[in-house]
Parts: sequence; structure tokens; C-alpha cells
Amino acid sequence: MTMKRTLAVLFTIAVFADNLSAQNSPTVIEIPAAVAATEAEMKPYGEIIEHTRVKIEMLPIPSGKYWMGSPTTEKQRRDDEGPQREVTLKPFWMGKTEITWNAYDVWMSDIDIQIRKVYGKKANERDLLAEPLTISKPTAPYTDMSFGMGTRSYPAICMTQHAARTFCQWLSVKTGRYYRLPTEAEWEYACRAGTTTAYSFGDDAKKLGEYAWYYNNAGEQYQKVGQKLPNPWGLYDMHGNVSEWVLDQYDKEGYAKLGKQLNNPLSVPTTLFPRTVRGGSWQDDAAQLRSAVRVASTEDWKEQDPQIPQSIWYHTDALHVGLRIVRPLKTPSAEELKNLWNKSEPIQYDKDNPKEFKE
Amino acid sequence: MSETKPSRRQFLRTTGTVAATAGVLSGVQAVHAAGEGTIRLAIVGCGGRGTGAISNALSVPNGDVQLVAMADVFEHRQKASYESLVRRFPKTVKVDKENMFLGFDGYKKAMDVLRPGDIVVLTTPPAFRWLHFTYAIEKGLNVFMEKPVTVDGPGSKRMFALGEKSKEKGLKVGVGLMCRHCDARGELFQRVRNGEIGDITMMRAYRMAGPTGYAAVPPKPEGISDLMYQIKNFHGFLWLSGGAVSDFLIHNIDECCWIKDAWPIEAKAAGGRHYRGDNIDQNFDNYSIEYTFEDGAKLLMNGRTMPGCHKEFASYAHGTKGSAVISQSGHAPSKARIFKGHVMTKENLVWDWGKAEPNPYQLEWNHLIHAIRNDEDYNEVQRGTMASLVTSMGRMAAHTGQTMTIEDMLECDHDFGDGLADLTLDGDSLLQPAENGTYAIPQPGLNPDYEY
Repeated sequence: MTMKRTLAVLFTIAVFADNLSAQNSPTVIEIPAAVAATEAEMKPYGEIIEHTRVKIEMLPIPSGKYWMGSPTTEKQRRDDEGPQREVTLKPFWMGKTEITWNAYDVWMSDIDIQIRKVYGKKANERDLLAEPLTISKPTAPYTDMSFGMGTRSYPAICMTQHAARTFCQWLSVKTGRYYRLPTEAEWEYACRAGTTTAYSFGDDAKKLGEYAWYYNNAGEQYQKVGQKLPNPWGLYDMHGNVSEWVLDQYDKEGYAKLGKQLNNPLSVPTTLFPRTVRGGSWQDDAAQLRSAVRVASTEDWKEQDPQIPQSIWYHTDALHVGLRIVRPLKTPSAEELKNLWNKSEPIQYDKDNPKEFKE
Repeated sequence: MSETKPSRRQFLRTTGTVAATAGVLSGVQAVHAAGEGTIRLAIVGCGGRGTGAISNALSVPNGDVQLVAMADVFEHRQKASYESLVRRFPKTVKVDKENMFLGFDGYKKAMDVLRPGDIVVLTTPPAFRWLHFTYAIEKGLNVFMEKPVTVDGPGSKRMFALGEKSKEKGLKVGVGLMCRHCDARGELFQRVRNGEIGDITMMRAYRMAGPTGYAAVPPKPEGISDLMYQIKNFHGFLWLSGGAVSDFLIHNIDECCWIKDAWPIEAKAAGGRHYRGDNIDQNFDNYSIEYTFEDGAKLLMNGRTMPGCHKEFASYAHGTKGSAVISQSGHAPSKARIFKGHVMTKENLVWDWGKAEPNPYQLEWNHLIHAIRNDEDYNEVQRGTMASLVTSMGRMAAHTGQTMTIEDMLECDHDFGDGLADLTLDGDSLLQPAENGTYAIPQPGLNPDYEY
């Protein structure tokens, strides 16, 4: 890692810790409903991306305990869905829907910066801090990454986990509130929303059409978010539409190596592939939409990228993979960010930046 | 359609130009025929696409291909390219240190490492294509060159002549218009020839995808020369790449012309620089080109690099009996389909490919190596140059505000590549900035004869 890169990373992390320890800091956008000191105070709120009209609806998810994975009796179960583990989780907010192109494209195409320039608005402190996380991040693609399936209110897709993580970092600095991808355990907990059945509405796949976009009803493409029925905690499209990135490395051995009682588990990635996405998609059949299903990322997801080294930002063939964000009630310390939540190996260097390129 | 100009029709037909009459066997191309020996590769221009092309070359089934020499003007690019390739292909990437060349004359040194019948991969910005191709022909090398192959009229004239010369020598030359190698589009082409959508009267193509590649170029930082900054951001500068039109729109234009089996004779176009901010490149951020074919049919090509707008990367054909998707999802898969009428719904679907589409970037290499191994005629220069010229015609129509014909293009005296052979790493560029660091940009109507 070059010195410059190291400093940039530490700087970003430090910015965070500073921001979030001082609620009145000018680098936090004031949203009264977003303020909570305890779990009891957590409310739904709409996060905003300054200079745009984009709003990201966040819902509180209570702390709790659940059985992660599926029982061996579940129909269509796969080996990597177990053995089941009892997992305890701290409270967090989660995006009511998948992140749409409306939000993702602001980061991807620097739309907030363009708007500022066009309307002659000055960059504020947050804008300046966020710039290193958005200019040339990601690099401009060569193709329409929505692949003609639509953008307004449709879920963003085709990003690598690194891109999804960087989006979260950028959003964090832009808002002053810490956002990240969910852990796999958080994702399944939120998907189940207190249920223990194959789907969050029961075991009957015939009802899927009311809750999810999948192969049978999506018309061979993703659909606008939030149109089907939500799960018991108010979250939309957890079972279908697009699969969603989580932070964890994928292990085909399932949860066997993990302890029987788990507190806020996270498997920090140490290899680029396979990492984990959760929730079925418009490409999948009913069985693949079950709450416990795990999907491993593969190098095939970059097959169409005709450049080598291939982009660290795009999975040109993952038209079924998007993301959903979470915000933990308690913002991690700079140390925890560095060693856990923001950590993944190998570090991704951009080939387009000679200072960053290193193999 | 007029039948009165056979020679011109011949010139403007897209097919038939590749499969020339039985070529002259010079002995050069026979070196690797019948599977004799390893084919050696040299790459000139080690960017992402060039490196990707080498990766495809080294992945040809039973190809027996090795990479032996590399040339670039950026050391970090060359290093990145080498390291990525050697990791993927430890057995077939065999580039000795002394065969890594840096500098504008590196192309000669890299080609000097090869023997006649080996392949040089020309993947620098397109400005250099004719210069490098000239030397490749001299050395009797087979060639793979990326698109576009020219960026202006004078360069196209040179390339047409070089193409003929390479054909006379029996060289196999592939051009990176990989959509031409797509199986699904190939079947669509046959079906359209069979009259399944009637006569094509109108085509539409779109490459509207937000900021793309290096089309928008921010002001030059300290510590890099104008020349090297321009090359690094070659999509931004017309002399190097033909800009966003030539680099991005050529695939859609080419696949439409293929399906139409003709090249347009005229273009008129609109475009402008709506959001340029402090960017210093020469591109517009939106282009709308109307091409006219000899039979009066139209091709409407829309290109846009503005963020936040409707996105579409697709080509469609409309005929007297029905319509077709030529491609609908970027380059691959094409999702080629035929419909009755012009409402492209499932109910109206007449034909689709119906199976997985192989990667066309790989197919174009499989085909080239096959032609070399079997000593079959294989020369895509003529059609690659026509595609490049037609694309430049649309761009020039937008940039000058004038209607442009093929003849106008070929007669144009603005040679973007004048002085190209004399560039040096620490020398001036062919395009020099004004004192404030900006460059001459197209001024439609006010500068009606030249693009800058």
C-alpha cells in the first residue's frame, strides 16, 4: 500500500470517528428522526443526498436473537445453509428498499458535484470530505450498466462488493452518519423478521408472487423497488428483485466452523472470490428466494469486461446483484472500522491510477 | 434502390469485402498453416483493451500462441499489463525484459522480435494505427487491430491502401469489431437477407449511458506533458481517437450497416456541449446523427454521455414486414430477435437465438487463429476502415454543422495525423493547448470546414 493511499484511508476513517462522536458537528446533516441515543429512540427516517432530491428510507431493526440458517427439514435446503446457529445482534437501521440507481448514480456519476457546479453552489465541508471517495470512483464504465432495464426507481446492479463498500463510505461522509453493507447475519435476521419458515410469509411458494419479483413474474428483468408486499418488519424485496451484497466472505462449508452462540458475527473477506450475496433475484426460481439461501460471487460475474486488468468497480455479468445499506445504532470506533467493518483483503487498487496500482 | 452504379454499390456493400477471391499465396502467411509451430504475439499499446485482447488470444482453444514482446509509452501500463497476463497465463506469457519497449518507436522494436506470420496486436489509440500497420505489412506480420482503425478522411484513404497491400501479401488481419463475430447477430443477418423483416427502411441505435471512458477530461495536472496527458485520456482528443463518437458509437453503427448490408452515403447531425464544466476535452456530450443509405433508408444514431438521463445501449432495424433487435444489452449478449410489425413485444416475437451467446471478444480471436492455421483468406481492413470512416462522417457532420458525404470525407484535407511519425516522449503534441490549458473545440456553423 502506498503512503498516499494509506493516508487517504486513515483520513476517511478518522473523519468518521470525529463526525460521529460529535453530533453537533457541522459535518452531520441534521435529520431529527435520524437521531437516537438508545434503541428505544430509533425511528424510521429518510436519509438525503445533499444537492439532489434523492431520499433513502431507513427503518429501525430491533436488537435480538434468532436461528441463522435453515433446518435440515426445509425443502430444497442446501448444505451451506447450516448448521443453524443462534445469533445475537445489536440494533440497526436498514434500507426499506434496495438502493436504486437514483441514489447510486449520484455517486457513480458525480451528479451532486455536477448539480453544485451548474447551480453555482459552493461545496460544503461534507462535499469536500466526500470528493476523494467519488471522483474517479468508480471509473466511468464503457457500457450502460443498467443494460436497458431502466434506471429511475429501479435497483442499482452490476457493482463489485468493493464498489458497494465504497458507495457506503461515500454516503457516510456525505451525510455524517455511518452506513455500511449488512453482515450476512444481519441480512438474514432482517429478512426473516422473526419468522422461522422458508419465506418471511410462510412456507407456501405459491404466495411468492405477492411478495417478490422472480423468474416467474419479473418478465426477465428487474422491477421498480417497493411494489410488492413488505415483510413483517416493513422491508421490501428481500426475497426477490435483485440479490444483495453483504460484507462477508462466502464459505461453502456453511456455519460449521463458527461457534454455536454468535454475537454480531462477520467473516472478514480475505479473498476477492467468493463473497456473499443474499436474497433471490429476478433471474431465480422460487427455491432460490428462501430466507436462508446463500449465493457465492464468482469470477464469471466479470466475464464481459473486455479490459484487463478487469475493473475493480463493475461486475458486468451480475445483472442480478445490487445492494441495501444498514446503519448500526452505535457507530464503530476508528479502530473497529479499520480492523473489522471496513476491512477486506486484498486491497483493491485501480489500474487507472498509477499511484494506486501495485500488484 | 438504384441499380445504375455497380462500382459504387460494390464499394458500399458491407459483405463480400472480407472474403476476397482466392488470395495470392505469398508464402508469408503459410508459416503457421496446418498447425506448424507456435504463433508468437507482440502487443503495441498495453492498455486495458489491448491486454484483454492478448488474454483472448492466449485463450484460443489449441491456439499454441505465446506473447513475446510488449511496447507502450507508459511504464505503469506496461507493467500492469504484463503482471496481469503472466498471472493468468504463466506458461504462454514469455516476454523477456529486453523485449519490453517504451517509447514512440517501441512498435518497431516489438515487431522486430517477431517472425513473418506471427501476429502483432495494435491496440494503441487509433491515431497510430496506420503508422504501425505500415510497419507490420513491411515485416510480413499478421495483425489484430482494435477499432476504430482511422479517425479522419485522410487516414482512411491511407488505411484503404494499406488494406489492399496487406491483402496482396496474403496477411490475415482482424479488426476489433467483435460484434461481427457474434453468432446470434450472424443468424439475424441471414434471416434479414432471407427477407424476414422485408426491406429495411429505418434503423435506430443508441449508446446513451452516462459518463463513459475518458470522454470527459479534467484540466491537466502538473507533472505530465500535454502529449502524455492527451494519450492517457485519448477519448477526449480528436486526433488520437476521433473522440467519443468514433470510439463509442462505431459498434452500433457498424452492426446496423452489417444488418443493412450497406454503408450510408451521407450524414447530417446535431450535438452540443451542455455540461462541460471545466473539462478540456474536445467532445460534445450529446450527438444525434441521421445517416442516409443509397436506397434512402435512414439510420438514426443517438449518443449521450450525460449522467442521470435515460440509458440505452441498443440497435434496432425496421423493415417493410417487421422489425428486429440487433443488440439490446451492450455488446453481448446481443439478444437479437425478430418481430412481426414494429411493436417489439413477446406476442409479436417471431425469432430469437434462444441459447447462450458465446463471448464475441473470444470468437474474433478463434476465427483469426483458425484462418492463420488453415491459411484461409481473412482480412477485415476494408470493412473496418469503412466503419471508421462512416462513424467519422457522422461526427464531422455534428462538429461542423454541415451535411457530410463519403466523398466529402475522403476529400477533406484536415489530416489529424500529420506529424505522427515524429512524436517523442518529451516532445510537443500534435494538438497544443491555449495558454489557459484549454483546447480548440468544434464550432458548428462558425467553422464549417474543419472540426477544430
